[in-house]
Amino acid sequence: MTTLLTAAEQKKPNLWRRARHSFAVARHEPANLIGLVLAIFFAYLILAPVLSILVDSFIVQSGDEARTHQDEGSFTFYYIVRTLYSRISEILIWQPLYNTLAIAASTVVFSMSIGVVLAWLVNRTNMAGRAWFATALIVPFMLPTWTFALAWTTIFKNRTVGGQPGWLESLGITTSNSVAYGYFPIVFILVLHYTPLVILIVGNALRRLDSQMEDSARVLGAPSRTIAFSIVLPLIRPALMSAALLIFADCIGEFAVPYILGLPVRYDTLATGLYRALDTRQNGVAAVIAAVIMIIGVITLLIDVRMMKEARRFVTVGGKGNMDRLRKLGRMRLPASGFAGAFVLIGVVLPLLTLFLSTIMILPGRFTLDNFTLDYWIGSNLDTVALRNGILLTPEFWQAAWNTIVIVGSSSMISGVLGLLVGYAVLRCSFKGVGSFLRQITFLPYLVPGIAFAAAFLSLFAVARGPIPALYGTPLILIIALVAEKMPFASRSGIAAMTQLGKEPEEAARIAGANWFSRMGKIIIPIQAGPLATGILLPFISGIKGVSLFIILAIPSTDVLTTYSLRLLDYNYDQAANAVVLMIALIAWLGTVLIQKISGTGLAQGLEN
Amino acid sequence: MPAITLTNLTKCYDGNTEPSVDQVSLTVEDGEFMCLLGPSGCGKTTILRMIAGIEHSTSGEIAVDDLVVDSVHQSCFIPPEQRRIGFVFQNYALWPHMTVERNVDFGLRLQKVPAQERKERCLDVMSKLRILEYADRYPSQLSGGQQQRVALARMLAVNPGVLLLDEPLSNLDATLRLEMRAELRRLHQTFGTTIIFVSHDQWEAMTLANTIAVMNKGQLQQIGTPDEIYAEPSNRFVAEFIGNPKINLIKLKESNDKFINLASHILARQPESKFADVCAIRPEEIILTNTANINTLPMVIENIMPTGGSWVIELSFAEDRLFHSTQSRPKWREGDQVNAYLPTPSLHFFDHDEKRLVLSESHLDYSNLLPSSALPNKQNANQIHTNQSYAKQA
Repeated sequence: MTTLLTAAEQKKPNLWRRARHSFAVARHEPANLIGLVLAIFFAYLILAPVLSILVDSFIVQSGDEARTHQDEGSFTFYYIVRTLYSRISEILIWQPLYNTLAIAASTVVFSMSIGVVLAWLVNRTNMAGRAWFATALIVPFMLPTWTFALAWTTIFKNRTVGGQPGWLESLGITTSNSVAYGYFPIVFILVLHYTPLVILIVGNALRRLDSQMEDSARVLGAPSRTIAFSIVLPLIRPALMSAALLIFADCIGEFAVPYILGLPVRYDTLATGLYRALDTRQNGVAAVIAAVIMIIGVITLLIDVRMMKEARRFVTVGGKGNMDRLRKLGRMRLPASGFAGAFVLIGVVLPLLTLFLSTIMILPGRFTLDNFTLDYWIGSNLDTVALRNGILLTPEFWQAAWNTIVIVGSSSMISGVLGLLVGYAVLRCSFKGVGSFLRQITFLPYLVPGIAFAAAFLSLFAVARGPIPALYGTPLILIIALVAEKMPFASRSGIAAMTQLGKEPEEAARIAGANWFSRMGKIIIPIQAGPLATGILLPFISGIKGVSLFIILAIPSTDVLTTYSLRLLDYNYDQAANAVVLMIALIAWLGTVLIQKISGTGLAQGLEN
Repeated sequence: MPAITLTNLTKCYDGNTEPSVDQVSLTVEDGEFMCLLGPSGCGKTTILRMIAGIEHSTSGEIAVDDLVVDSVHQSCFIPPEQRRIGFVFQNYALWPHMTVERNVDFGLRLQKVPAQERKERCLDVMSKLRILEYADRYPSQLSGGQQQRVALARMLAVNPGVLLLDEPLSNLDATLRLEMRAELRRLHQTFGTTIIFVSHDQWEAMTLANTIAVMNKGQLQQIGTPDEIYAEPSNRFVAEFIGNPKINLIKLKESNDKFINLASHILARQPESKFADVCAIRPEEIILTNTANINTLPMVIENIMPTGGSWVIELSFAEDRLFHSTQSRPKWREGDQVNAYLPTPSLHFFDHDEKRLVLSESHLDYSNLLPSSALPNKQNANQIHTNQSYAKQA
């Protein structure tokens, strides 16, 4: 047995044989079936609503027959023309579009400027209280945006709007509309909310940066300034761009803040305009606005993808540097901490304190002892028209809390498990097309801001279609919409977890003789328990804070905490509304702490994902 | 009875035009300890994964114990969980959430072996692999060598007919590698299992396997015992791949069709049909002397590199660089002129297709030297001149 180089030439098996063989192989790979089922499922859950709303903008909606002089359901350009070119298009789209872009752009500029400075202070200087600030500065990102909006109105509200006056108003200081409502407070609040995101992303990039690159520059005699501007800044530029685009995209879809602070002065953004259109039953116009929001989202993310591709060219592998990278601030050490402290004060302490004080004050802005009460929390038989008990004694509150837990909890659980299955199918499926389709379609909701997605869901599931009954008004539509909305995150973390796990543990189990169910039950799921728990809890937290999906899809019987608080606000039960908001913030914070405990990662890493 | 038979096994990954495994036919006898040896990317791991069933073939056939497990022609594919073949992954793939003992008895549990027997077999294999004391630890608490023993124990516990090892020693440090090498040999003797392992390390293959299958670019190059592969490489690739320092190759000049012309000094008569292109000699076969004669080549010592107990000497011969290795301390210094004698039986010749040319002794003929004036290359002429004067001095 010395050589065996040539074997009898066998003719290449024909297509039919190969297909049958592939089938024989695929039969033993359940990932194929899972992949196919998931693909169909998500096509219906994600693709269909988006297509449906795009189609809606070209179809005569019910009730518009007279205006369009066409039958319901026929093809029309009426909505496009009305929204984009008519006399009222200035109000319908152009002004809101301008406002939205102005808010998004300003928020990006300001939060980037503040965030980069803070990230640098926290990561690269000997600022006093560095470690504490590393956590404290992130807190505003954990609070729902409209927490700040409510705190803002509590202080600055003026006579433009009825109901209880703001604190300044009752102290005799009249606030102008431009301070109380509209562009300025919205940007101010969004900057507070998104600056921590910049700190997280840029801080992480700073930490991952191979310090040997800086060290090499230092060894060559470069002063700190040169290092910062010619080495560090170019290297973290991808992170900066990515943070900027993320914030931009999020601001486009932001609904709650302009809803609270913009509506009183008719300062509309696309999101509130969409809501207004839906509320006034102009479904066709709403579809066009939703499409515009989606297009902006798609453009933003295409830019992001392109930049990330470029960024990959200079991905650096972290190394260990020994040189001291912390810059001595000297006399600026305390002022730097003062700056960071001011951010925490304005971004965390003031809003929460304001909200809390507002819930224990009978008349706003009167700081006398007899004005304080715990009635709004635990009182009973109050002297009000409705809501005669404190919020903690009100059955509706607990109903809403229960709804929140059930709806958000079950949808997070479903999306977490689906995410893991998507990860499994994407990596194991024998047919490449199915895998990449799954990967892309689960990412699609990310391109569509929540409010547009909710509108899309409404358009598809409001009426019975085929075997699926009308879902509007049931908790089911909320659960399904939430699942779909959370899929980009869930599938990404599922794919990441499965990629990190690799195929080998499962292959080893196959070789040991395990069938698919034992492989799943005894190997994959136990190993992935940690990521799975995080993959459920993170969507849960962001789901609790979410507004846009609920405000369109929820009805009073499916009230969740967010819609409940907004409803209370509408009825001018400000104290109760703020109390509910505080409870939401509390739940969100507890959930984040829980994630930290489970995953063992720091707060910062946990949130960034 | 052959344990495993591969017939024209071919694997084409999606999107690749070149097959990763190209028409490989190979028989592994029961109880054999075989190594698939080749550079990275040559398809050896793919073959191993196809035998295990983790990968499927594009064409050809795999039979285990005469039972066809993967064949496109028969549209047959038996999944890995039904093949009862052991496979130890390169990075072990231990289940991180299970203790060592649970890892080892996982397969037995699946086979529904009664608890008592399971315990016994588990203890037995763990003690044979000397990991009994770590039974309650988790894989992350073990060193690389211990992890590997767990991975082996996990497969041996179910007593598979064939054990496949993917680069079994590559993740270990040098000392552990030596230890595990002995361990694997011992295992093969104790359990009598057929073992196929994959390696890119010729030293590992030489020391462990009793049969080596050398692969390159998806194709099988040569199968044989370690000695055969070393002594009679069937082509230039095998000759170059095996041996450290690498075999010396001397490009032969295009000359008349009658003789092999090695830098005008060594001539061999060509066989009738084939033409030799390259002459090769192992570094340790070169003999260096001070005396020049008709059978020696003049060379200059460029570099002497001690490698601990042996020496590697870099020689320059015209434009060629040759390596010579020796166990005895060299008596020359760098820059010295020496004469190299290349013993005829140690010379390998390869034709233009890089295939081995078998030249019988009678084909080699040193008596027919070309006259130095016939040399086209001036530099060579100078060298010979120097050599002649050197020879005169000697």
